[in-house]
Parts: sequence; C-alpha cells; structure tokens
Amino acid sequence: MRSGDAQSPLRFVSPAGRALYPRDVVARNSPYLLGVTPAALLLTLFFIGPALWAVYSSLTNLALVGIDAANPRFVGQDNYARLFQDPDFWTVIRNSVTFVLGSAVIGQFVLGLSLAVLIDHAERRGWRLATLAYAAVLLAWVNPTLIAGYLWSAMFDFFFGSLNHVFLSAIGVGPVDWLGSFPMPSVIIANVWRGTAFTMIIFLGALKTIPPDIYEAARIDGANAWRRFWDHTLPSLRPIAALTLLSITMATFGTFILIQTLTNGGPNIATETIALYAYQTAFQSYAIGYGSAIAVVMLGLNLIFAVFYLRWSRARA
Amino acid sequence: MSRYSRRTFLKVAGATAVVVACAPAAQQGGASPSQAKGLTGTITVSYPDELGVKPKYVDMAAQAVMSKNSGSTVKIDLQKVSDDIYYTKLLLTLQSGDVPDVFHFGGDSISELADAGYIEPLDSYVNAWADWKQYPDSIKKGATYKGKIWAIPYGLDTRWLYFRRDDLQKAGLPADWTPSKLSDVIAAATAVKSKVSTVTPYALYAGQAAATGARDHAFVPLVWAYGGEMQTSDGKWVGNSAAIRKALAYYQTVYGQGLSPKEILTTTKPWTAMRAKLGDGSLALLFEGGWVYGGWASKDQAGTQKNVGYLLHPTENGGPSFTIGGLGTCWYLTAKSKNKDLAWEWIKTWNNKDTVAKINIEDPHPVARTDSADVPEFKAQQYLVDSTKSLEKARFLSPDASLSKVTTVIQKATGRVASGDSTPDDAAKQYSADLKQAIGASLVVDQ
Repeated sequence: MRSGDAQSPLRFVSPAGRALYPRDVVARNSPYLLGVTPAALLLTLFFIGPALWAVYSSLTNLALVGIDAANPRFVGQDNYARLFQDPDFWTVIRNSVTFVLGSAVIGQFVLGLSLAVLIDHAERRGWRLATLAYAAVLLAWVNPTLIAGYLWSAMFDFFFGSLNHVFLSAIGVGPVDWLGSFPMPSVIIANVWRGTAFTMIIFLGALKTIPPDIYEAARIDGANAWRRFWDHTLPSLRPIAALTLLSITMATFGTFILIQTLTNGGPNIATETIALYAYQTAFQSYAIGYGSAIAVVMLGLNLIFAVFYLRWSRARA
Repeated sequence: MSRYSRRTFLKVAGATAVVVACAPAAQQGGASPSQAKGLTGTITVSYPDELGVKPKYVDMAAQAVMSKNSGSTVKIDLQKVSDDIYYTKLLLTLQSGDVPDVFHFGGDSISELADAGYIEPLDSYVNAWADWKQYPDSIKKGATYKGKIWAIPYGLDTRWLYFRRDDLQKAGLPADWTPSKLSDVIAAATAVKSKVSTVTPYALYAGQAAATGARDHAFVPLVWAYGGEMQTSDGKWVGNSAAIRKALAYYQTVYGQGLSPKEILTTTKPWTAMRAKLGDGSLALLFEGGWVYGGWASKDQAGTQKNVGYLLHPTENGGPSFTIGGLGTCWYLTAKSKNKDLAWEWIKTWNNKDTVAKINIEDPHPVARTDSADVPEFKAQQYLVDSTKSLEKARFLSPDASLSKVTTVIQKATGRVASGDSTPDDAAKQYSADLKQAIGASLVVDQ
C-alpha cells in the first residue's frame, strides 16, 4: 500500500509525488481494500458490534430473570448514576489498578524481560539448560487459566493446600491463611506465574533481532554487562515494550477466571476486579444492563491505557 | 479443483443436503398419528446432575412416556455441571428461544422465572391430575406465585444444626448437647476452641464465595432467630432492623473471636471443605442442608450415626426452635414449549409415588408427596423420617422476584462484618442502602 508521509498519514501520494484524490485512492488500492474487507467485516461483527451492544444495553434495565427480562426498557444514564454512587465500585477500580500494576506492569513485564535476557544470554553461550528453563516457563502459559487457578488454589488452600501442609509443615511453621490474609499479593503471584511466558517470548524474539556486533563493539569499548544492557539492549527493546505492555495490561484488566477460582473476589471485596464485578453483576445477579454499564467503564479504562501506551511507543520510536 | 469435479462435488453436496434435511422429518413420521396411541411429537428434558443419582429415574420416566405414547420421543439433555453454571446457561437458552420443554431447577427461582415469562403455569394440568391431592397445602403454597402453580417439587429441603458429639464431649459438653438458645451455640464453639485445638469450632457462611449458603444457612435463620423478618406481610424487604443488626453482631462475635474460619470468605465453594470437615470430625458445628447428611452416611454409616447429631435452629431467648424449609428442586414446563401436553405427561410420570420415594432415599430429602412417605423403605430410614417431620417446624422465604438481587446484598453485608471491614451497625445501614439500590427504594422498609 502507498504510504503517506510521516506528518500526514492520510494524505496519499502517487509514486511521482502527486497528491491523490480519494477516488484515485480507492481505485488504486481496490485489490488491497478487497483483501481487508473480510477482516474488517469480522472485526465489526465480533468486536465493534458487541461493544456497541454493550453501550446500548447499559442504557437499559435488561435482565435475565424477573419482569425486566420480559419487558426491558430504556433507563438512560440510571445505571451509570447508580454505578458511580456504588461505594464498592471505587474499591473495585482501585483493586483492578493494583492488580494490573502488580501482576502485569511490574510482575509479568519485569520478570518476563529478566527471564528473556537470562535465557538469551544462556542460549548465546550454548547452555543446554536454557531450553529447559524456556520450557518450564512456557508450561505455565499453555495451561488453561482455569487449570492454573485450580493449581494455585491447591497450593494456597488453608485446609488442604500444599504450601501449608507440605512446605510450611516441613519447616515446623503453622498454616498461613494465604488467600484470607494476603489476598491481593496471592492472586498477583498466581497471575505473574501464569502470564510471564508471554512477555518472555516476545522479548526473546526481540533480543534475537539485536545484532551481536553492537555488543562486541561495546565490549571492546570497555562497557560492562550492566552498561551494555542499559545502553544497548533496553533502547532496542523500547518499541516492542510498549506493545507488550499494552497487550498484557488489556489482558490483565479482562482477567477474572483466575481470581474467581482463587478467591471469588473475597475476602469481602478485597480482590474484586472490574471484570469479575461485571461478570458477577451480569451472570450471578442476572442484571445485564447494569453489568454492561460496568463493562463499558472497563472499556473506557482500557482505551485510556491504550492511548497512553501507543503515544509512549510512538514518542520513543 | 477442475470444472468437472467441482460440478460433481456440488451435485453430491446438494443431494446430501436434501437427504439430511428430510431425515428428521422421516424419523419423526415413523409412527403416523393414525397408528400412534396417546400423545405424539418430541420433547426435550433438560437437567443438571453431578451426583449421578437422577439419570436412571429420568431415563425411566422417558421410557414410560414413550411406551405409553408410541408416537412420542423424549430427548434427554443431561448437563454434568453444578446447578449455578446450569442456571446461567439455561437462562441464556430461555432468552434465545430454542428452549427445552421441561427443565429442572430450584424452587426458589419460581418468581423470577415466572415474571420473566419463561415458564408455564400448571393450574389446568394439576387440577386434572388425581395425584395432586397427595401434595400438602404448604407445598402447594410454596409452588404458588401470583395465584398460580408454576412447578412440581419432589424432594424438599430442610436444614439442620449439625454437631459432632465426639468433639463436644472432648470440650466437656454432653453427647446429647441441646442448645436452648442461640448463645449456647457460641458457648459450645468457644468451649471447643479453648479445649480442642485441633478442631475448627464452627462454620458460619458469609460473603460471596458462600453463595446461597450465606442466605439460607446463616443470615436468614439468624434474623428469624432474633425475632425479625426478612420481608413484611405486604412483600417489602426489611432493610435495617434490630434483628438484622443482631444477626450481623452475631457474625462479628463468631468471626471476631475466631470461632469460624475466615477462609470461608475466600475458598471457592467453601461448603465443600466445611462439609468434609464436619464429616471427618475436624469441624464441630455447622448449620447446613439436610441433603448433606447422606454424603457422610454413604461414606461411614455407623460413624455418622454415632457422632453426627442434628438439631433445629435455636432462637435468641429459648423460643421454639425452627428450620428453614425449601421447595428443593422442581420440574418446570417452559412457556415456549411447542408440545406442552407431552411435556406435562413427562413431569407427571416422573413424579409418581415410587420414584419420589426412591430418589429421596438415594439422595436424602423429605418427600413432597405424602403417600411416598408411607413407602416402607422410606419409613425404615430414621433420618428421613426426622427430616420429613422437621418440616412441621419449617419457615419458608416467600417466592419473590428480587431474591437473586437480595442474595447478593446479603452476601456483601455478611462478608463486610465477617472480614472485619464493617461494624454490624454500619453493615446494617449499608445493607439497607444496597437493597434500595438493587431492588428499588419503594420495595424496602427500615424498621
């Protein structure tokens, strides 16, 4: 596809530099437009459509049971007014931000990057154990979230959990109520374990694109390992870092199965995140309209994060 | 692909499509109306089952209907999932329109299903059914909403305050411990905590993880034990009252003194662990469903009979103890069913005297039909006789379309106090505010 210049991405130009009118643009690009049409239609059907439906239903009192299920009606901004007066809602937002910062931005990102650098380092030196470490991290990722939730549940459980009854009892320490006393750190640890592999894989791929002679030159200049990492590795990874952060942030915002399996949002609402809150409202209290309003707010928060990361990535690029 | 082969392919595909399209019609027409006796057509019976008890009775009823009505087909849709997962799937199906004709779910959903227009009133059918006279008036009343009958129950719910005789004895209490008032329960739990360190004294369900257990096995009996009401006589929900504050203060005492494990608030399906613990003696006191007893007895009949005692729920000042009754699970007929007569025929066939007795022996519940209680095998089970008798002392929550929303509010209120985040007074105020927000201020009164 003919690309526009950097200042004006929508201004198409011909190879000779002549500005193209929209009709010309369509005509010249018709094979490409035809090519993207199925994808665009599918995206509209499966992404934009449901999002619009969520916005619409958030303005109704649609429900799965009761009179509202038989006669749903338009209630305007009532659901939003109710949501912003709900004292639990602000706790839920705070929990979500803590969960995303703790498990995605700090946990998965930092740990994934560290693992990628270590494994890359080991691979460059031909250490066989690197493959083993790679496979171990990957194993956590290929598990379905539900299984990961049950695995951690089996470890954290106060009554039957292996953390208490195998490890702590071996060193003579009494059982600890992990999920009751440290609910947010516990779910964050489980999610870091679960999601680190994704970040690691992306960074491992990105690390392979850095030419080795840069490091060679730096080494000749006398730069130590830390300097080489800080001055060469990190700047090369910045564009991919923004995209990785964007995807893991969004995925973590939407995660609820892991938390549902581990704590179901408890104790009280200490680990209730916005996605879980939307799910419970829509499918346990069966209030689809109100649940949609929560989902729309979640969509808005995700958009804010997306804009922030994309701007950051462009600025760095 | 060559032109020739594509054409051949299309011909074959077309022919196949015609055959496939005709096949169901051909099968259904297997017995033409003139040859068939009784009712004709096809119905689908949908039900969840995790225990493995129901399928043989469902199949038996299906066979009976099909042999009596030779032109009929009963399709079975067995979903091996828990009730709550089944219900969400069912509701989405009921909204979509491609509905089963008959489905199986708890009787406390009658009002919300009826209001949504998902289910068919059964008055005309039960009025023509000779066996309907076998159902006591209290049960008929429980299945009535807005003056109509909506579901047919078969095994009722009762609840007990279970206690371990062995644990209480170790704590210096008699084996035939009988609390005369509510504070005796706390006193027994305190004695267990101080004298039997290996045993969890008490389990009091709270919070969202406890699901309907927070309502039926904890909050509602406590409010009633303190002389309060959940609803006024005109159907409004009580928001903040002395009894509700006392019930929440009871939570504060139990959790504040470490008598009930806080893990109930975070464990997934905490009832699984609590039931197992009472069964093996590592939990001393638990108010739970009557159906739980069967699980313990099937593992260790003699040990359960010897060590597990069951009592009614005591009240604040020693007034008559009581239990919480429920319609149990019921069979419903969907409003969009295209073959309602055959669907009713199936419901009627399932709910015969023998099936109702047998399934409730296997999965212990009081029976809905009085004649089923006279079946000798049923009468031989002391526990089932006691359970059926307990229903004379049972109180029921009235069918109400707001019940799901109220349940969520109860979970929040009990969770707030149990986790130590709120005082009982603040939680009661918030309970009232949450109720008003969830079901509308006009449906809530503070007392």
